[in-house]
Amino acid sequence: MISYPRSSPSATVRLRILGIGNAGVHLADRLAMSGDAGTDVVVMNTDAQSLTSSVVTQKLALGPKVTRGLGAGGDPEIGYQAAQESLGEIRDLMKDVDLIFLCGGLGGGTASGVAPVVAEMARESGVMVFSLFTSPFSFEGRRRNAQAAEALGALGRQSDAVIHFENDRMAELAGPRSGIEETFAAADATLLSCVASLAGILGGGAPLPVGLTDLLSALGGGTSRALFGQGTATGDNRAHEALEVALKSPLLDRGRLLNESHAVVVHLSGPPSFAFAEVAAIMRGVTKHVADAANVFLGVTTASDPSTPVQVTILGNYDREAGGDPVATPRRSTEPSTQIAPASEPKRKPRPLPIEETAPPSGEEPKPLFPEPSEPDNRPVAPVRSPSVDAKPRPRTKPAPKSKQETLQFESVARGRFEKSEPTIVEGEDLDVPTFLRMRGNKP
Amino acid sequence: MAKQDIFVGVEVGTTKVCAAVGESGREGTLRILGIGMAPSRGVRKGEIVDLAIATECVHDALAEAETNSDAEIVSVSVAVTGGHIRSFNSRGEIIIPEDRFEIDEEDVNEVAIKAREVNIPSENHFLHSIIQHYFVDGQAGVLNPVGLMGRKLEADFHIVHGVKTRLQNTLRSIRENGIEIEEVVVNSLASAQAALDQHQKDLGAVVIDIGGGVTDYIVYEGGVVRHSGVLAVGGDHISNDISMGLRIPLTRAERLKCEEGSAKIGSATPGAMIVLKNDAGFSGKEIEREMLNTIIHARVREIFELIRRQVEKEISPHALGAGVVLTGGCSLMRDIQEVAESVFDLPVALTRDAGVSGPKSVLNNPQYSTAIGLIKFAQAQRAEEEEAGLVGSVVEKISGFFRRRN
Repeated sequence: MISYPRSSPSATVRLRILGIGNAGVHLADRLAMSGDAGTDVVVMNTDAQSLTSSVVTQKLALGPKVTRGLGAGGDPEIGYQAAQESLGEIRDLMKDVDLIFLCGGLGGGTASGVAPVVAEMARESGVMVFSLFTSPFSFEGRRRNAQAAEALGALGRQSDAVIHFENDRMAELAGPRSGIEETFAAADATLLSCVASLAGILGGGAPLPVGLTDLLSALGGGTSRALFGQGTATGDNRAHEALEVALKSPLLDRGRLLNESHAVVVHLSGPPSFAFAEVAAIMRGVTKHVADAANVFLGVTTASDPSTPVQVTILGNYDREAGGDPVATPRRSTEPSTQIAPASEPKRKPRPLPIEETAPPSGEEPKPLFPEPSEPDNRPVAPVRSPSVDAKPRPRTKPAPKSKQETLQFESVARGRFEKSEPTIVEGEDLDVPTFLRMRGNKP
Repeated sequence: MAKQDIFVGVEVGTTKVCAAVGESGREGTLRILGIGMAPSRGVRKGEIVDLAIATECVHDALAEAETNSDAEIVSVSVAVTGGHIRSFNSRGEIIIPEDRFEIDEEDVNEVAIKAREVNIPSENHFLHSIIQHYFVDGQAGVLNPVGLMGRKLEADFHIVHGVKTRLQNTLRSIRENGIEIEEVVVNSLASAQAALDQHQKDLGAVVIDIGGGVTDYIVYEGGVVRHSGVLAVGGDHISNDISMGLRIPLTRAERLKCEEGSAKIGSATPGAMIVLKNDAGFSGKEIEREMLNTIIHARVREIFELIRRQVEKEISPHALGAGVVLTGGCSLMRDIQEVAESVFDLPVALTRDAGVSGPKSVLNNPQYSTAIGLIKFAQAQRAEEEEAGLVGSVVEKISGFFRRRN
């Protein structure tokens, strides 16, 4: 076992992005093509054909013996076996990096089976892991959703941070009439921009960097769902417009979900002319949506190129287990179907998932294989999270109906013969109540 | 020929149903032949809450009007009101097709349709779209664009709409009596026809019709309707306030309001009392006159202030050269004029007959102004139709003739 001490003093984080499975390869391709040459991208897949067509130079074919390069066939157990077969190569990928991003689409065989193994391996090597995954559309069937949920649960235990995109929510990014290709592309693009901006956040420094710990605090917390919004704009009103676009992201539910988040990272980038007043204006706009108790981490980077647009990136986690759920669920119609959701540790066992029959002790549970108990790196995050649960503005809803009732009673007493008729409310006053009574009420 | 140009206006008010019968003279003059009135029941805040009883009241009023005017009523114009009625100004715009430059009738109709293409609640129904001004290629103040050359025609309209089902109730109370309905006019527009002459409309004026259940108001400026509205507060509210404030039965409060009440405060001798005699179920009471006036004043002042704020949104009250005209039953309240003057800071007049002849007692009573205004409105409408074209007018006359005879 090779363990690499984290080279914390060095300013830049050495980052490697691993695209796992077909979706992961696809994403890595786009990332590689988007031109950021400095990014270290590796693709791994059980399907040799997809690897061949990939433009990424660093490739890893998983389990050539198990799958014969034909893919995992949607079975996470095959994916798991393939990962076991290629364990040495995976371990090699953990050399010379501080942080890896695991990207892919859960629900199929490869990503669901391989990703937890890779995350486990990274943790053993002392490398931090950010997992960015999409869960399948609800129409892709129960089985895929269950597989995704199981894998997500495992990833939650092994990763430092999990950013989970529900494809059902991502579908809202594309219009209701758009084709399936377009919808998938929109979902991919969001994941891509999230990876790219995370890489940008960690890579870029001046004048106000976002630290890794800030990110962990905002994104850590196992199984929660990602809040991600990004907007870019140029022109006179760029700050306002960029924020507007970022908040419009369906993943933020028009900014409403930000209120449920315990910590939010806001990253702003722009040209050298990016003004302080613009930063302040954007932050005012963001904090309006964020709960009072939440931590807001701000990072600002400026590029040297004056034509750089202003970009606003908002990242956070919305943790359903932490109590946000009952409040938020009724709002969204897409929610129930997607909530085959990732289990937190104590809840995981009793859940009857088909995967438990197909992949006995091995597949979904790397634990018995790696006897040392997974050190929950999320622990420092936990204290941050629990107070925010208490601080959630729940009680706000309670006093409201009470006071309403009181006014109603008062009015019905004072309206005399108009008691049973439709009230005449003009400029906020019930005109059926005698004027002299209302004036008397206002004076003292 | 004598009774051919007969117009009937009916107002189903909160306190009374009023029907006026008028006859149109040769030069567009109007003579009131008779009035029928019946206290109304089943109407609250200008809207019908008991159709069967209201229908009966309408019948009584119409029957009385027929007797008094010696005319047979076949069709009527109706005034509608209620807190649900809303109004706003809207501009329509059309581009004249490339192949011609002259604006014709069709364009004018089209621009009116365009102005109506606005969002009103689906259950609402357009009552009026009253033309304010036309603009031809941006040139303002065009009164009649037909025949003018231009590429772009715009028009400002004042649009009045209300909840369809609630409007239907008033109309049904009349149809149930076997009477046809010619025009449906919003209360404030009808009252203004009786209260204002053309000169006042040009100068600018606010007409406030304070009825039993509702107060209607309308603002004229430059000869066109600039604003209108309904406030579901009226004389009943004053009575209710008195009844609650002085702890006396509602019927006594109503009588006290009419017999003793004044809208002015500080005018009564300090300590002056009014003695209410005992009655069945009421043991009699002494009340302070100033107290009564204070209650009335608070309500009346509030009504005026609400209207002033509404009017100010559209136009500065000082642009209204002809000031404020009060009408409706509640304008009979003592000293109400002074309260209105202090609120609006404008000359305030009580309604008077505007170009109508008939029994003096009828014309000087503001309670009848809506019904008389309806007649004038219908008369003007008829005159417009006749202007539309000779053939059209002949057809109209013949069909009208038959309609009236049947």
